Amino acid sequence: MAVVGIPILENLYMTTMDMWPVEAKEFNRNYLFYEYLKEGRFTTTKCQNCGYVAYPPRIICPECYSDNLNYIDLPTRGRVIVFSEEVKGVPLGFEPPLIHAVVDLGVEPVRRLLTRIINCPAGYLKRGDEVELAVFDVPEIPIEKGKTGPVMVKRVFFAFTPVKS
Amino acid sequence: MSRRAVIIAGGQCKWGVREAHLVDLFQEAAKACMDDIPQLKPKEIDGLIVATSYAGRCSFQVNTAPVIAERLGLKPTSICTRCDTLCAGGSTGIILARAMVEAGIADIVMVAGGEKLFTPQKWEVFYSELASVDHDWDGAHGMGLPPPFFALTAQEHMLHYGTKKEDLAAVAVVNYNYGAENPFAQMQKKLTLEEALAAPVVVPPLSLYDCCPITDGAAACIITTDEIAKRYTDRPLVYIRGSAQVCLNSVTANFPGVHLADWPHLRLAAEKAYREARVSPSDVDVAQTHDCFTISEIIEVEELGFCKKGEGGEFCRSGETKLTGKIPINTDGGLLSVGHPFGATGIRQGIEIMKQLQGRARHQVPQAEIGLTHNLSGANAEHTVLIYGREPVK
Repeated sequence: MAVVGIPILENLYMTTMDMWPVEAKEFNRNYLFYEYLKEGRFTTTKCQNCGYVAYPPRIICPECYSDNLNYIDLPTRGRVIVFSEEVKGVPLGFEPPLIHAVVDLGVEPVRRLLTRIINCPAGYLKRGDEVELAVFDVPEIPIEKGKTGPVMVKRVFFAFTPVKS
Repeated sequence: MSRRAVIIAGGQCKWGVREAHLVDLFQEAAKACMDDIPQLKPKEIDGLIVATSYAGRCSFQVNTAPVIAERLGLKPTSICTRCDTLCAGGSTGIILARAMVEAGIADIVMVAGGEKLFTPQKWEVFYSELASVDHDWDGAHGMGLPPPFFALTAQEHMLHYGTKKEDLAAVAVVNYNYGAENPFAQMQKKLTLEEALAAPVVVPPLSLYDCCPITDGAAACIITTDEIAKRYTDRPLVYIRGSAQVCLNSVTANFPGVHLADWPHLRLAAEKAYREARVSPSDVDVAQTHDCFTISEIIEVEELGFCKKGEGGEFCRSGETKLTGKIPINTDGGLLSVGHPFGATGIRQGIEIMKQLQGRARHQVPQAEIGLTHNLSGANAEHTVLIYGREPVK
C-alpha cells in the first residue's frame, strides 16, 4: 500500500517499525546467538573470568564486568510450567492462537524461560508437556553497503514447539 | 531547618479515547492543576518534569520537555526534563521533584505526565507495545501487549494459592464502582459481579473487566517545600515521607520471583519506602495500587503487607478494599476504571492521595493520615512505592 509523500509506506525499511531484532554483525555484537540459531543451537554467554552464565547473551559479564565471554549451548528441550492462549485480538504480525509458555529447560538461567509456542493448535497444550526449540525465518532486511547499495540479510528467530510423541 | 517536600495541587484532564493531540492533553491537565491552586502563577514554577513514554512512537516527538514547557507557558530555570519509565513515569517524576526541592536545587516543580495512545490507525499502538518490554527478547515473542503475561501471572496465583475467577472479578467491581462517579474516568460505569464474570474472555483467565483500557490522557501536580507552600495555600500540607523504586530484571526469563505471582521486587520497594517513611503497612489509611489487571491488585495487597501472602484474593473479595474495609484502595477508580495513560498514572494516584489526606476526596476515607501509591512497569520489571503523610517524618 504505497501512499505518496510518506516514505515508510513506499516499501522502505524502518528499524523503528521492525518487530524482529536487528541481528546482523554490522549492528549487533551478539550476532553469534543468531548465527548459532541458524544451526539449530540455543546458546548464551558464559564468563571466562567468574563462570557466570547470563541469559540473554551479553558483551560484559553482569557479575564481574569481565568482557572475556564465550558462547555455551543451552538445552533445546524443556517442559511447560504454565501457558496462556490468546485467540482473539493478537497483535499485528502474529497469528492466532498466540500461545506463550513459561518453559523449564532444566538448567539455570533458563529454568523459567518465557517463550512463544508455535505449530500448536489452540486447546492442545497441557502443563508438563515437552517442547523443543523451533527456529524459523523472519523477513530479511536491507543493509546499505556503500556503492553496492542495499544488501538483503537473512534473519531467523526462535520459539518452542510441542515434541511429537 | 531542612527542606521537606510536599504535594500542594494537582489535576487531570478527561481520560479516554480523546479527540486531541498529546500537547493538548498536557495543556488541559496543567490548567486543571493550576486551577487547583489559583494563588500560584505559572511564571513562579522553576522546574518541569515530564513523564511520557510513547511520545516518541505515537506522536513522533522526542525531547518532549521543552515542547511541553513552551505549550504550558513555563520557563524552567532549575530543571526541564523528561522521564521514561512507562507505567511508573509519573511517580518517577514525583520522586525526582522531591529530591530536587529537598536538595535546594529547585523550589517549585510541576510534574506533568501524559500519553496520546490512540493513533489514526489503532494497530500502531499495539505494534509499538513491542517496544515497552525488552524488544529483542520478549517483544519478538509477541509479549508487548500485557494480557498474556498477566494471564500467566493469574494462573500461577490460582495454582499456588487457590485464587478464583470470582476474586479477580471482585477487584473490578470495587474499582469500577469507585470510578463510576469520577467524571474524569474512561470507564465511568457501575459494574456488577455477574457482568464482570459474564464478560468476553481476553486471555484465560482474564476477561474484559480484568484489564485496564488503553487511554489517552494527562495529569499534572506541583511539588514544593512546606515553607514555600504556605505562601500559596491554606490547605493541609501533604508530605512525601518515603519512596523506593526497585528494578531487579527486565527480560521475563530473569523474573526474580519463584513464580510469576511472587513479587520480591515489590516487597523490597515496600520495605524500603516504609522504613524511610517510618510507618508500617497497618499505618496506611488509603492506597492507590497499580491495578493494570485485577490479579495485579490481588498480589499487591499481599506484597505491600496489607494481608498475608496468598490471601489477596480473599482479602479483595471480602470487601477489605472498600471504604468500609480494612484499607480502601483505588478510591478514584484506579487504572481499571479511570484508565492508564502510562506517564500520567503515578501523578493521578498522587493527586488522589493528596486529596484524601486533605479531606477533599470524592470517596473520602475519614481522618486519613498516611497514604501510599504504587506502580509496576514493564513486564513486571520495576516497582515504585511512594508514601505520603499529613505530618513529616520527625
